[in-house]
Amino acid sequence: MKFGVQLIGTILVCFVLQSFLPWWTMAVGAFTVAYLVGNKGPISFLAGFLGVAVLWVGMAFYIDALTHSILTEKINRLLPVNAFVMTLLVGGLVGGFASLTGALVRVKS
Amino acid sequence: MKVLKVGVALVITGALIYGLNRGWNFGSPIPPLGKFLDPFGGFWQNAEGLARPDETLLLSGLKEEVVIHYDSLLIPHVFAKNDADLYLAQGYLTARERLFQMELQTHAAAGRISELLGASALDYDRTQRRRGMVFAAENAVKAMEADPVAQAMVSSYTKGINQYIESLRYKDLPLEYKLLDFEPEPWTNLKCGLLLKNMALTLNSGDKDLELTNALQFYDKAMIDLLWPDDERVGDPIVDRAGNWNFIPVTLDSVPLALPDELVSVPPLEKTTHGVGSNNWAVAGSKTHSGAPLLCNDPHLNLTLPSIWYVIHLQAPGVNVMGASLPGAPAVISGFNDSIAWGVTNAQRDLVDWYKVEFKDNTLSEYKSDDQWRPARKVVEKFKVKGSAPVYDTITFTHHGPVMYDNRFQQDNELKHYALRWVAHDPSEEIITFYKLNRSRNHGDYMEALDHYASPAQNFVFASTSGDIAMRIQGKFPVRRKEEGKYLLDGTRTSTEWQAFIPNEHNVMDKNPVRGFVSSANQYPADSTYPYYINATSYEAYRNRRINKLLTEMSDITPRDLMELQFDNYNLKAAESLPAFLSYLDTTQLNQAQASAYKILKAWNYENDVDSEGASYYEAWWDALFPLVWDEIREAKVILDYPTTYTTIKLLKEHPDLVFFDVLATPEKETAREVVQQAFVKGVEAIETWKAEQKKEPRWADYKDTFIGHLLQGLPAFSYHVQHGGNHDIVNASSRRHGPSWRMVVSLEKTVRAWGVYPGGQSGNPGSPYYNNLLNTWAEGKYFEFQFRADPAAYKSTLATVTLKPVAP
Repeated sequence: MKFGVQLIGTILVCFVLQSFLPWWTMAVGAFTVAYLVGNKGPISFLAGFLGVAVLWVGMAFYIDALTHSILTEKINRLLPVNAFVMTLLVGGLVGGFASLTGALVRVKS
Repeated sequence: MKVLKVGVALVITGALIYGLNRGWNFGSPIPPLGKFLDPFGGFWQNAEGLARPDETLLLSGLKEEVVIHYDSLLIPHVFAKNDADLYLAQGYLTARERLFQMELQTHAAAGRISELLGASALDYDRTQRRRGMVFAAENAVKAMEADPVAQAMVSSYTKGINQYIESLRYKDLPLEYKLLDFEPEPWTNLKCGLLLKNMALTLNSGDKDLELTNALQFYDKAMIDLLWPDDERVGDPIVDRAGNWNFIPVTLDSVPLALPDELVSVPPLEKTTHGVGSNNWAVAGSKTHSGAPLLCNDPHLNLTLPSIWYVIHLQAPGVNVMGASLPGAPAVISGFNDSIAWGVTNAQRDLVDWYKVEFKDNTLSEYKSDDQWRPARKVVEKFKVKGSAPVYDTITFTHHGPVMYDNRFQQDNELKHYALRWVAHDPSEEIITFYKLNRSRNHGDYMEALDHYASPAQNFVFASTSGDIAMRIQGKFPVRRKEEGKYLLDGTRTSTEWQAFIPNEHNVMDKNPVRGFVSSANQYPADSTYPYYINATSYEAYRNRRINKLLTEMSDITPRDLMELQFDNYNLKAAESLPAFLSYLDTTQLNQAQASAYKILKAWNYENDVDSEGASYYEAWWDALFPLVWDEIREAKVILDYPTTYTTIKLLKEHPDLVFFDVLATPEKETAREVVQQAFVKGVEAIETWKAEQKKEPRWADYKDTFIGHLLQGLPAFSYHVQHGGNHDIVNASSRRHGPSWRMVVSLEKTVRAWGVYPGGQSGNPGSPYYNNLLNTWAEGKYFEFQFRADPAAYKSTLATVTLKPVAP
């Protein structure tokens, strides 16, 4: 349950932040949501990873569909790995580690 | 324990963000991946659809409202209420589509590529600065800023570009900035100057003075005249007014020609490529179907994406002009208005000279000029280099120009210093020419506009709705004694310097000739009675004859006929050489592949069409033959110049025993016959290898493989291969990497109609459908009819309307 709350929370908060601010502010968002929800470390990591990954890949899919993949195909020829996969990994890893940090800060010592 | 865990997680998060927020270089550069992949700000944001929004934008510096209607090709039709607003809008709109291209081209001109690509570009950058590109641009800007019209025009244009740059957030940056991880810097008037000088470099930096100086060491004068004649005397000159040059030419004191005795050991400068050239012509109403003149232009340049041209329609009180503009320079360069049309081809003239400078000592601070020592000027140039410390270079300037080669740069012998005298170094106001051409109403206006034009020298074709056609070869041309400036000059003697320039009214020109058309294709400019000495690196020998032959034969000409002429694939060079080559072959000993090639060549109709295999065999044969003939030149220890294609073929046919036909690598004594045979074997081999690799038959379009490469070293993801016929030396001059960069046909009826196309698209963004939407139309030899209306209301049903409104600064 709390997993779902963190997942949705991360997506929403990061969406709002990224609509106005640089990309890395999603780490601040993921961290804050993780801290507030207070899942255990590994669960928080997973929720943060998936939250940002879903947000990023979802947004990327939206643009891709809207523009008939005009640029995705070209960037795929430049990148060693598919652009969606790379977007998922990069967004997910930063979101995941930020959420892990948030969860760990909250744990009572 | 908790602190440790938090610490580790925090450090990993921080390191990830840091590592993904900056670029890296592991052999090849990697963009900042976090920024780049972020779909809210990264590359994803550069993907575009076909639709463009209607917008109202507030710009400071505007006096009044400007309305822009984009048509379905994304061509902006700009309606302004005054000149300043018009050029501000042009700058803004051009930057919106082409900013990266504008910045890259001006960085390249200014010798600043190392800033973007690192130390590998340093030699290129030093060469650019040493040949005086920045010096030339600074002089151009001084001249522009001294003239109130040019000053207002360029400053408004610059203002427009800067307004766009200032509006950019990371997510709006053109894709290439995100890839290379840098940000646009403010535009300046100097950059407009650099852009124009870049054009001068492309078109007018060719010369063979140093190469011919070396040739004097190896060959006698008769051989030099045979291999590198000033005038090959082939076809019609651009203007033939034999005996009717009715002026008294400017002359210089006679000084005997002093041939240099010098072996020049510098490495060769990059030459104007063989594929760079152009066609233009205008046909009088007496030869056209409508009774109105028709004018055509197709400049052949490096084929790149984004394209070198950006099409725009500019309207304000006193001007209503449309055509191809150069991103980075205001106004239209090749186009039409409601009264006239004009177009350009390169004039080819040699306007580059080299002076051997004698310095007092190796501090290079004083140099000899006649009987005195003159002080040299030193400029320290700083080169920022991506990924390493800056590099400095001192350039020494004499009154001739910059000392390109000295003891600091590519010169092993400290006693030899060569200064460059280039016409593009001189202050000039080409921008006024285009300002006035854009507004010209008749032949008189055109002539007055051209009086302001200096460099790079061009053949300006003209036609008007009032029925006139004209051609004028305009540039700043020094008066030379015969053969002066063909070889290295003695920098210690002022008598060999440029002392006078040919007056504008003595330049080669013609109006309404009896034959009913004017044309130019980079050939020799004037008949032999023209009283000034003329020379060039080379003049064109084939396209011009084909064009003139067809124009002479044609009557009742329609625009469609002239589109077909621009797309003409007839290979005159092959028609003149192949029968002789085939007759040289010993056909008794051909293997199967050779016999089949022979058969295909025998049956070939000399058309370099997309599907032709004969064209592939012929061109492969020629590509093997030329270097085999001139192996002496290729393998010489010093730089030498290759004779032209025309001269090579002429020698093969008329002087088969010439010493050059002996191949150095073989002990036997070869003549033209053997060298042609050897090249045939090699050419067929090349095709067989290609067939084995590609697993298909050698259709010409596949074998030639025309490639339109993105400006970033032809990045394959952003580049295209197209199916296209033609080749260099053919009217449809599309070779592998060069070709008609803009095709324009204008019918000067009462209401001017015009058609055009270029290999690219209006947008420079690889993520836009307008990046390459004109490409296939170009490749098929088809055209778009331009929407050229004086009334803004005619554009109501268009792609998008952008309104620019003034805002208080």
